[in-house]
Amino acid sequence: MDKTTRLTPEQRENLVAYLDGELDEETVEILEATLAKSPEARHEVDMLMRTWALMDELPQPNPSQEFTVRTLTAVKTEALTEQNGNRISWYRHARRGIMLGGFAILIGVAAFLGYHATYSLMPDENEPIIQELEVIENLDNYSDVRDIEFLRELAREKVFDEESDDKTP
Amino acid sequence: MVSGNTSQLPYVSDPDVQLMLRAKGGDDAAFEQLVMNYQKRLVGIFYHLVRDQEAAEDLAQEAFLRIYRAREGYRPTAKFSTWLFRIASNLASNKRRSWGRRKEVSLNLQDSGGLGVRPQEKLLADKSALMPNRQLDKSEVQSVVQKALEELNERQRLALLLHKFEGMSYADIGESMDLTPAAVKSLLSRARENLKGILEPYVR
Repeated sequence: MDKTTRLTPEQRENLVAYLDGELDEETVEILEATLAKSPEARHEVDMLMRTWALMDELPQPNPSQEFTVRTLTAVKTEALTEQNGNRISWYRHARRGIMLGGFAILIGVAAFLGYHATYSLMPDENEPIIQELEVIENLDNYSDVRDIEFLRELAREKVFDEESDDKTP
Repeated sequence: MVSGNTSQLPYVSDPDVQLMLRAKGGDDAAFEQLVMNYQKRLVGIFYHLVRDQEAAEDLAQEAFLRIYRAREGYRPTAKFSTWLFRIASNLASNKRRSWGRRKEVSLNLQDSGGLGVRPQEKLLADKSALMPNRQLDKSEVQSVVQKALEELNERQRLALLLHKFEGMSYADIGESMDLTPAAVKSLLSRARENLKGILEPYVR
């Protein structure tokens, strides 16, 4: 046989696509030219068509009578399971939310009470300082005074009264 | 009535896509209609893949259930049938893998001392009962074609079935089987060549 009329591997692969109408126009033209010249290629196409036609003989089983009912029942069961799942899921979320909220409130109350209990029971380190603040502020002046008798003497001589008078306008 | 942002999608005019969108919206009657539309086709495809009516129906039921479960997130990005057969293809692959593991175990058990008929001998006996040089009746032809189909690997078989019985284009088969159209072309070419090699003696 003339080599030009023999099918190349690529053309051989194209034969099925040709029969299925899946080739572009240009490839179809080239292939048909080869087919026109090659009895072997035409035989190949013929056999592909005839063996393909045998596939029509395959039995086409019908689903059993129960299939539709069984499938639709399974679908309805699935839907119910989904609904229950959603309900259960919603309930779980709500319960979890309530529990978390409760815990948060408890923690808040405990913190509030704890703070106040601590504040009222524990001694305040600043309290003595506040009480003695006046003394602390005048500590330098007090250091200059030798003793209490000296102060009393100044008071008797009305030194403090003069200072007060000096300050009054 | 389908409305909203889905109206711009190209497959929304597919009547089965419309049914699926109604099912997504909670219309159970629409889903029921889809089951009615596809049950025979789906069981048929599975039957030729697994050669067992009960198993085929179980797989078809599982496919419908998967579709139902996926309804809320459904978007019509392909023809409904393409989507359905993609799910079917995945199911068939999973089933084959699980059966493959089971078969391996059972074959190992048989190897340890079984005296039964070996697979090659069984094949020869089957073939001799259907010699091509005589006229075959319809059931014999069915048997021959079914056996020829079984000789193909599962991907070739599925592609053939989708093309033959669903009339799917190479592009749609590719979408269902996760292949490019070029790969489908090659797959179908090899499948048809194999089929021809087996069945040619019966069509002379």
